[in-house]
Amino acid sequence: MALKQVSSNKCFEGFQKVFEHDSAELKCKMKFGIYLPPKAETGKCPVLYWLSGLTCTEQNFITKAAFQQAAAEHGLIVVAPDTSPRGCNIEGEDESWDFGTGAGFYVDATEDPWKTNYRMYSYIKDELPKLINANFPTDPERMSIFGHSMGGHGALILALKNPGKYKSVSAFAPICNPIQCQWGKKALGGYLGPDASKWEAYDATQLVKSYSGTRLDILIDQGKDDQFLSAGQLLPDNFIAACTERKIPVVFRLQQGYDHSYYFIASFINDHIKHHAKYLNA
Amino acid sequence: MRNYETSGQSQHHSTSPPVPEPSDTETEGLIFYHMDLYGSKERFDIFPEEPSGRGDRSLGDTRRESALSSEKVQHPQEVGYDLEKEVAELAKMYGLDEDREKELELLGGHLEKVESRWPPARTEKAGLQGGLSSGGVSDEWNSQAVSEEEEEEEEEEEEAADVFCSTCKIPIRAFDKLFGEHKDHEVAQLPSAVESEKEEIHKNMCKLEEQIAQMENVASHLEEIFITVEENFGRQEQNFEVHYNDAVQVLAQKYEEQLEALGEEKRQKLEALYEQLVSCGKHLDTCKELTDETQELFLENDKAEFMKVKKFLKQEVNLELSTLPDFEERVIDVSEVEQLMNSINAIPAPCAPVINPQAPNAATGTSLRVCWGLFSDDTVECYQLCYQPVSNERHSDGQAAPSPPIIKNKKIQSCENAALVCWESRDINPVDSYTVELSKLTDEENEDIITESIVGIPNCEVLIHLQPTQKYHICVRAQNLGGSSERSEPVLIHTTGTCFYLNEDTAHPLLAILDDGFTISCDELENPECDLPVYDNSFTRCIAILGSLIPFPGKHYWEVEAEEDTEYRIGVAFENTPRHGHLGANNSSWCMRHIITPSRHKYEFLHSGMTPDIRITVPPRRIGILLDYVNCRLSFFNADIAQHLHTFNSHFQHYVHPCFALETPGILRIHTGITTPPWTALP
Repeated sequence: MALKQVSSNKCFEGFQKVFEHDSAELKCKMKFGIYLPPKAETGKCPVLYWLSGLTCTEQNFITKAAFQQAAAEHGLIVVAPDTSPRGCNIEGEDESWDFGTGAGFYVDATEDPWKTNYRMYSYIKDELPKLINANFPTDPERMSIFGHSMGGHGALILALKNPGKYKSVSAFAPICNPIQCQWGKKALGGYLGPDASKWEAYDATQLVKSYSGTRLDILIDQGKDDQFLSAGQLLPDNFIAACTERKIPVVFRLQQGYDHSYYFIASFINDHIKHHAKYLNA
Repeated sequence: MRNYETSGQSQHHSTSPPVPEPSDTETEGLIFYHMDLYGSKERFDIFPEEPSGRGDRSLGDTRRESALSSEKVQHPQEVGYDLEKEVAELAKMYGLDEDREKELELLGGHLEKVESRWPPARTEKAGLQGGLSSGGVSDEWNSQAVSEEEEEEEEEEEEAADVFCSTCKIPIRAFDKLFGEHKDHEVAQLPSAVESEKEEIHKNMCKLEEQIAQMENVASHLEEIFITVEENFGRQEQNFEVHYNDAVQVLAQKYEEQLEALGEEKRQKLEALYEQLVSCGKHLDTCKELTDETQELFLENDKAEFMKVKKFLKQEVNLELSTLPDFEERVIDVSEVEQLMNSINAIPAPCAPVINPQAPNAATGTSLRVCWGLFSDDTVECYQLCYQPVSNERHSDGQAAPSPPIIKNKKIQSCENAALVCWESRDINPVDSYTVELSKLTDEENEDIITESIVGIPNCEVLIHLQPTQKYHICVRAQNLGGSSERSEPVLIHTTGTCFYLNEDTAHPLLAILDDGFTISCDELENPECDLPVYDNSFTRCIAILGSLIPFPGKHYWEVEAEEDTEYRIGVAFENTPRHGHLGANNSSWCMRHIITPSRHKYEFLHSGMTPDIRITVPPRRIGILLDYVNCRLSFFNADIAQHLHTFNSHFQHYVHPCFALETPGILRIHTGITTPPWTALP
């Protein structure tokens, strides 16, 4: 599990770096961005995992979200992996932007030809943390997760499927109920097969209904002028209704005038970093 | 003379000074003159320019004063000085060199003479021609000689003059204007010219009168200085006398001691010598006896008998002198005298220091901070502090000590770092000030130790700074000339969290406060009778009430408990928030609002009528409110699960108060004195 440094830039007294490694889970070379706060030079830091949305690579978040200052201030290592396996030469992987490359959907595929490489759920859950903990000054007991859009979906399902593993979870405009929306149906159908009951294992709204783990404090920001919100791809109301019923604490903030872009993310990233710092540094 | 008060043994104001130590002559000896002499800057306006800026007045004074004092002390032979010289010296010290000659005349007591020489005091005509420049006195003097010459000239032509040449400042004949040397000059009619000049002269007269008054002032000051200097030198004479007497006394004592020691030595030596003499005599006798015996033996011729006498001389005679005849060398120790002599002139005795008024918080039950200052840069080795307790008993003027005040227990406002305590005086006797005494309560120790006291509080309220997470007993005493009252009933303050009380004056008539003082309820939203009393300060529209929160710029946290179906508004508001409006609808209040819609619980976070769109899945039963002046934020939490709900980021221009409103019948329970939970720190 050798890491190869691709880039390193000093940022707010810490370093924003990109590494490349051979993934056993995905059977391809994978890149991830990692921000090491100044505190990491002297001690162990908690890790906050960021999951990006459709079409993104490890670059989008680290260049556009402007999270580094808050991360430096709160002493958080922030890891931003890629969104899918790359260069696997699977037929049709580059055909559309919402499936295949750049659209791993954070599931473990069970269908051919995807099931060999498209195991993003296990990659994020096991391989990546193991790799990070082995190579950086982390505190393995303290990790949290957040993401945007498809990555918001990923963050929610990872937190809900693994009670206690993550200290906190938050999301920007997450795909809350993929089994009900076009993106979800296409991706889950493609990776998991036509049996819709299997999809529920990767649906945040469904997972909440049966969640009985440790208490989670979920923060969700959603732009009110998000075209995917009005297109019914995100369906936060379903998730909120389920959480309300199950008394899962969520603060859902509908932000007037914001869309689905990284400008929206950058506007509220500090609140999310603080939300995680509250639990990671408690 | 300052009266300081400690709290433990309270004292009343007194005019009697602390008794100085009798040996304190040095400190008293050289007060030069009272500071008041320099107190008023106006008096010195006569001096055209200060050597130092006016703002430095007092500093300059002290320097001069010290310079003066050292100079006087260094030349004690000048005690028999002559007044003029002394005064000149003084003037020099005031930095008046440029005006020295003039001043000397004035200060020498020749005021009349000056007056007679003052140009404007001359005839009007002369003044008209003479010193008309509007400049200072010196200008007029300088021009005096010139004007006299002119005067002579003018007199010849006087009868013919009918106009006034403004350029040459002389009256001329109209003819001259046309043809003479004044051809191009500006002229004026003589009467009007005279008028304007008269005015000018009048102004100068006024100025002069002012200056004369100031001169007189200075003269009287100089008199004062004269007297003070005289007094000071008198004191210094006394001082010298005391010192030299001391020195002479010490010398006399030394002499006595030496003489005594010498006599003792003499006695011892004589005694020793006498003893030796006596023993010598004894030996002599023995020897003589022996000689006689021997001679007898010679005569007897009995050989056997003769041989018996062996012990010819059994005793050796010590012929050494038992003691040295000369007297021991003695060192005469005069160091003490030297010291005494040196102390007389080397360093002048310092001026008396001035004790500062007692500062608030300068005393505890057992200690007192006293501060004082020096006027000059005297060399001071140490200070001697004298004090005496002032009696607690009734003062001689007969005024009775006040009765103890009563602390308004229900109106105490506190937080982790401070408490605002108010009380009422129930006294017909006048109260000058109050003293607050606080004792920090620790688990093991006696509770009655006053750890701090704040004195000289003029009104019935005080903000006390405290340490977090402690318990304090606080009580108040009232004070007047008659002494100090007993302590009030103490109140207990915990600095674990913020405590406020509900301000009943602001309560809407339909809002009731239950007996615990922290539960508010509303039974009905409309009153059929509509004749409920409305106070000036009470909310009229919103069924609301304000709390009274301590005005302290730290963090304040409190919680509100509400039933799930109660609709409410809670938050903070400025004290003057409109009483006829709804909380959160204006820019003077910030609040969280809970309303129940047919589909869900709705939460609004209102300020100026605006709210973000926020959905909360778990309705909070216990809402935590954090007001953080330092970080400019007001945050709301679901206190049961430490969930952050919303934060207003606002730089509060004034102190705010908690506010509570009910929008449906129900109750709100307010919890204060809660330690700020750590999870409120973020976000």
